[in-house]
Amino acid sequence: MTHPIVAKALAEGRGKLREDEALALLRAYGIPVPDYAVARDEEEAVKAAEQVGYPVAAKIISPQIVHKTDVGGVVLGIGDPQSVREACRRLREVVRRVPYAELEGVLIQRMVPKGVELIVGAVYDEIFGHVVLFGLGGIYTELYRDVSMRLAPLEPEDAWDMIREVKAYRLLTGYRGMPPRDVAAVVDVLIKFSRLVQENPEIREADLNPVIALEEGKGAYVVDARFILAVA
Amino acid sequence: MLTKLIDPQSVAVVGASPKQGSVGYVILENLATRFKGSVYPVNPKYDEVELWGRRLKFYKSVAEIPDPVDVVVIATPAPTVPKIIEEAGRRGVAAAVIISSGFAEAGNTELENWVKAVAKQYGVRILGPNCIGIYNAYTNFDTVFLPAERAGRPPPGPLALISQSGAVAAAIMDWAARRRIGLGFMANYGNKADVTEVELMEALAADDRVKVITVYVEGFKYPGEAKRFLDAVRKIAPKKPVVVYKAGRGKAAQRAVKSHTAAMAGTYEMYHGLFKQAGAIEASSVREMFDMAKALATQPTPRGGRVLVVTDSGGMGIQAVDALEALGLEVPEVPESIARELKRELLPFAAVSNPIDVTGSATDEHYKIALDALLPTAFFDMALVVTLMQVPGLTKNLAEYIIDARRYGKPIAVVNFGGSELVQKFEEALEDSGVPVYPTPDRAAKALWALYKYSEVKRGRP
Repeated sequence: MTHPIVAKALAEGRGKLREDEALALLRAYGIPVPDYAVARDEEEAVKAAEQVGYPVAAKIISPQIVHKTDVGGVVLGIGDPQSVREACRRLREVVRRVPYAELEGVLIQRMVPKGVELIVGAVYDEIFGHVVLFGLGGIYTELYRDVSMRLAPLEPEDAWDMIREVKAYRLLTGYRGMPPRDVAAVVDVLIKFSRLVQENPEIREADLNPVIALEEGKGAYVVDARFILAVA
Repeated sequence: MLTKLIDPQSVAVVGASPKQGSVGYVILENLATRFKGSVYPVNPKYDEVELWGRRLKFYKSVAEIPDPVDVVVIATPAPTVPKIIEEAGRRGVAAAVIISSGFAEAGNTELENWVKAVAKQYGVRILGPNCIGIYNAYTNFDTVFLPAERAGRPPPGPLALISQSGAVAAAIMDWAARRRIGLGFMANYGNKADVTEVELMEALAADDRVKVITVYVEGFKYPGEAKRFLDAVRKIAPKKPVVVYKAGRGKAAQRAVKSHTAAMAGTYEMYHGLFKQAGAIEASSVREMFDMAKALATQPTPRGGRVLVVTDSGGMGIQAVDALEALGLEVPEVPESIARELKRELLPFAAVSNPIDVTGSATDEHYKIALDALLPTAFFDMALVVTLMQVPGLTKNLAEYIIDARRYGKPIAVVNFGGSELVQKFEEALEDSGVPVYPTPDRAAKALWALYKYSEVKRGRP
C-alpha cells in the first residue's frame, strides 16, 4: 500500500519527504499542485522557470530545514530570468546561515493566483489512527485554532461538514465582496488527501499549507506540503 | 451479543456475604431482595443463612449450582478470580461482572491478562474488573455495591447510561432517582479488560426499552478504538440518539511536533471531531447530557430550527432568544396576519412578535391562545415556553394547556423556576406527561438545540 515515494524515503532512513517528493506524492493521488521542477544550479533554475511559466516561486530543498519560510527559504513572484538567478543566490546564502543545513537544490514552482489560504493536515494517533485537519491557513493558523477534525478516510459528507464547521467558512462563500471560492475543489483535496494518509500508515504528521482556494470553478492548489514519517 | 450480561435471568454472586457493610453483602442484598430472576450466593464459608426474613442457601462453588447461570458477579480478592472464571466457563456461563479491584489499575497487569486469557478460552465475556457493573431497573439486576439508601436506584425509563467512571455513574443514579428520572440501564466497565463501551452501546441500542443512550467517557484505551466507536455510533445514531460527555479536555502533554497540524491537534479536538463525524450529540457537562437526554427521550424530531418563544416575563424572553440564537437556532417573526389576530385576543400591552410576551398579568388561556395560533403553523418547528408561576393569573391548569399542545407534533421545552408548591406541582404534571422542564432559558435552549442536531443526524447526510 505504501507509495514508492514514501517507501524510498523510509529505505534511505529519512524522516521527512523532500519538497519535490511531497509534491509528487500529492500529484500521484490526484491532488492539484502547481507545475514545478527541481534545479541544481542557476542555469537549470532559469530553464525550469521557462518550462513551468512565469511568474514563479523559488524554494530551498534542504533535508535539515523543516520550516522554510521561517529562515527566508522562499522567494515569491519571480518574473524574469535575472530575478531567478538572484533568487538562487539568495537561497544559497540562507542555507549557509543555518548550521549543518545543506542545499540539495531549488524548487521552481509556478505561482498560483491570489486566493483564500487554507491548511489541510493530518496526524497519526494510536487510538484515533489518522486524523485529518482543516482550517484557515496563513500566519495566524495556530493563533486562532479555527480548525475541524475527522478520522480518515473521509466520506464526501465528512469533508463538507469539516469545511462548514470552521468560522472561516464565510471567507469561502464570499465575504465582504470577495468572490465565492471553489469549495468543491477543496472537498476533493480533503478526500484524496485522507486516502493518501490512510494508504501510507508511515505518515506521522502532514501539513498541506497553504492550500489556495481559487474562485468558483477554478480549483484549489496545494502550494507547499510537509510530510513527517515514522522512521524505525 | 451482550443481552445476557445486561438482562440476565439467573445470577450467581461469588463472594456473597452475610456480613453487613461488605461489598458481597450489598450485592447479595440488592439481588436477593429485589432481582426478578434467580440468585445463587456462592461462598464456601456458609451453608444456609437466615437473611432478609428467609433462609438463603450458599453454594461452595459455581460448579455446585444445579441450575443454569447466565452471569456470575465476582466480589472476591483478585488472585481468586481466574479460577472462578474457569469454573464459570466450564458451566457455560455467558458473562462475568468482576467487581474486584487489584488488577491493571493497581499495576497487576499480568493477573488481568491471565483473567482475559481464561475468559477467552472458555468464551466468557468479562465486564470490568474494578467496576460497579450493571444496573437494570426493569429486573433490578443490580451489581452496584453502594447501599441503596446512599446511592438511590432510579426507576425504569427510556434513558441508558454507559460510564467509564463508577463513582460518576453511582452519583448520576442517585441524582436520577431523587428526580424520578427514568434511567433503565447503567453500565460501568472499569478496566475494560474485555467488554467495551462500544459493545455496551450496541447492546443497549438493540433493546427496545432504551430510547436515548448517554455516554460518560474520559478517554479511550486501545489502539483503533476511535474507529470502532465511529462505525458503531454511525449505525446506532440514526435510530437512537447517543449523547456523549467527554471529561478531561485539557491539552495533551506537550509533544515534540514538527507540523502546524500536530500543534493544533489536541486530544480533545480529536474526540470532538469524532463525535461529530459519528453523529453523537456532545454535551459539555453531566447536567447538560441529561438535560438533552430528557428532551430527546420525550420530544418528537423537529423539522427545522425555528423556535417560538412564549413568555410571561420580558427578561426571560430576551434571555431565551439570546441563548437560542447563540446556538444557531432561529427565532423568526410572527406573520403579520396572525400577529393582528393575537393582538385582539391577548392583553393590550402583550408583545405579539416573537417572543410572544403574554405579560405578568396573563392567565392560563393566554398561553393556550398563543400556542394554538402559532405552533401548528408552518412558521415554527419548536416551542420554548417560559412560565414564571409567581404571577397571580397562572394556575396549575396551565400545564394541561401545554401538554395539550403536544398534539401539534412539535417539540416543547418549558422554563419554570421557583420553590413554591405550585411550581413543583406544575413541573411534575408537565414532566409526568412528557414535557421537559428546565430552570433557566439557556438550558431549555440547549435541549432544543440537541433535538435540532438530532434531526440532522436522523435525516441523514445531505
